[in-house]
Amino acid sequence: MYKLTGVTKLYQKGRRTVAAVAGLDLVIEDGEWLAVQGKTGHGKSTLLNLLGGLDRPTQGTVELNGTNLGTLRETQLTRRRAESIGFVFQTFNLIPTLSAAENVETALMPLRTPAAKRRSQIASALDSVGLADRASHLPSEMSGGQQQRVAIARALVKQPTVILADEPTGNLDEDTRDDIIGLLERLWRQRGLTLVLVTHDTSIARRAQRVAVMTNGRLTIHQATDSGVPPIGGTLV
Amino acid sequence: MFFVTYLRRELRRRMRQAIFIALGLALGVGLVVTVAAASAGVKKAQSGVLKALYGVGTDVTVTGAVPGPPAAGQQVHKPIRLGPDGPEICTTSGSCTSAAGKTVDTMITQYSGISDSRVAEVARLHDVATAAGGISLQDSSVTFGSSASSPPLSSSSLTLDGVDTRNLSIGPLSTASLISGHAFTAADTDSDVAVVDSGYATSSNLRVGSVLTIDQVNFTVIGIVRQAQAGNPPDVYIPLAQAQAMSVFPSSLASEVNTIYVSAASAADISAVTTQIERLLPGTTVTSQSSLASEVTGSVTSAAKLANDLGKWLAILVLIAAFAVASLLTMAAVARRVAEFGTLKAIGWRTRRIVAQVLGESMVMGIAGAALGVGLGFAGAAIIARVAPELSGVVSANTGPQASQPAGGPGPGGGPGSHTVSVPLHPSVTVGVIVLAVILAVAGGLLAGSFASWRIAKLRPADALSRVA
Repeated sequence: MYKLTGVTKLYQKGRRTVAAVAGLDLVIEDGEWLAVQGKTGHGKSTLLNLLGGLDRPTQGTVELNGTNLGTLRETQLTRRRAESIGFVFQTFNLIPTLSAAENVETALMPLRTPAAKRRSQIASALDSVGLADRASHLPSEMSGGQQQRVAIARALVKQPTVILADEPTGNLDEDTRDDIIGLLERLWRQRGLTLVLVTHDTSIARRAQRVAVMTNGRLTIHQATDSGVPPIGGTLV
Repeated sequence: MFFVTYLRRELRRRMRQAIFIALGLALGVGLVVTVAAASAGVKKAQSGVLKALYGVGTDVTVTGAVPGPPAAGQQVHKPIRLGPDGPEICTTSGSCTSAAGKTVDTMITQYSGISDSRVAEVARLHDVATAAGGISLQDSSVTFGSSASSPPLSSSSLTLDGVDTRNLSIGPLSTASLISGHAFTAADTDSDVAVVDSGYATSSNLRVGSVLTIDQVNFTVIGIVRQAQAGNPPDVYIPLAQAQAMSVFPSSLASEVNTIYVSAASAADISAVTTQIERLLPGTTVTSQSSLASEVTGSVTSAAKLANDLGKWLAILVLIAAFAVASLLTMAAVARRVAEFGTLKAIGWRTRRIVAQVLGESMVMGIAGAALGVGLGFAGAAIIARVAPELSGVVSANTGPQASQPAGGPGPGGGPGSHTVSVPLHPSVTVGVIVLAVILAVAGGLLAGSFASWRIAKLRPADALSRVA
């Protein structure tokens, strides 16, 4: 479970100080799917970075399962990400020189998983995203949708408890977008993941259990109805 | 072997850049190897110059003082004078006769004598392995014309070394190769036998068994030798006792030598041995190869300066440039991979793992540079060996025993009283230089990787990922 209390993140832009996130309070329950919407530059990605331990708040606390991420050392944060948090990026962020299987393997390297177990986990992850037959292909040999599937497999292979997806369909066409969201939704349901998904697309956001809207660094929670799953909870701000 | 796979693929992706970096390192390293090889070759040539003068195994040479001019009022025997009817030959008793049709033979020593008992004293000094005495002489003959139709004057000369036939391991014959006949043995100590230099034998039509008359003594040629170095070796070698018995100007060398050849127990003892000899024999000139090295001039010295000064600094500059280029290119490559490294950090890679990957790539380029550089160095050394002219070392005749001319006479190459030795330049690449080259290239690669690693360490994943978005 995530608990954010009074979280503010300030950035210096020249002489100006900009609040990317301002006084944010948020609770995300285990297994919840939260969509985060908002215009560009209003703090969506900053929120995701704070949830993923990629950044530290200027004020306030970000707790994951009772642990204040802001008090962890860099190596501890890195370890937490390696074990518990999977990332899916808009631009896929695959290593161009590695095959699909090797890209998925990058997520297991920090965990020092034995080679045999690694191989079976990789195969299983690629199979779950429907790319078992593309294991040896390089990113340049795959379509955008396939590359994003590999990125999802990379995020899932370590059996995380949280998936943070930043505009996962932003670079994809409409049909592929639906495929990817459908895949994420299926995996969320099957594995009971906590899924935080940033998107511009309202139709995608409405598939989540709750929708949070970021406006000038401030968060407003809306209840979603299209998911077919009752909202777990949330705090109306 | 994920590490190796990732490394290999990444280098293949930026193959051109990797080759460029490796080539840059190779150039710097190759230059270092070539300069070091040339330096080693020049040192060897310098040593060859010295060996040509002193012979293999001779570490220190002691020569008697140069004879000074006669004192005022001192009676000096003049064998030739100009009489009222032309040149006359005079005996030591003062009676003179016409020189027409006669030959005057004068045996000259360049150095004053040293009692031959001193040789044994030197041999007994601490850290001296062995010592041997010798005499270096120049025999000049002047033949006067017998009639108005014949040339008024003709002259010839030969250089002569008296050698200790019981100890030929040091001294002027130690570098000689026997090409016919046989060398001296200890039994030849008092014999009228001679070994001649191959050049002199050819010009004088001598062979084994020929008879050579020196100072009215007939010497039988028992061997013909060729000196290893193309220096100016003496024409004739005779046993020391026979040289001591010769009539020498300005004074006899009976029971004396004018040169002592000394071999130290080890190279580290040479300096101490030199000091002991100077104390034992004040007034003599004591030279070692290292002290003589500073007096050698000629193209061998110029080559040494070129290799040690210009060559060394050029190699250093090129290496610095290669390191700088490698560093810049590696940092540029890391800058292009910021999103990749940010992603790896985001999914849980520790900084040191990413740094290890980058350092691994740099080290591979360094090793490739080292291998290429050593190859370039060998090629450079081979080119130098092929195109470099023969070097010459010029030494003042007063600083070596194998004088080709009397002191004050014209020398063949370097001016009055000088002695020229020609030596080939053979650059050599040693194992030490190869190891140095490998270390330099790998260090260059790692240095480049270190700058890039510093950048990776400071990279915040959030910043890196925001650049992609």
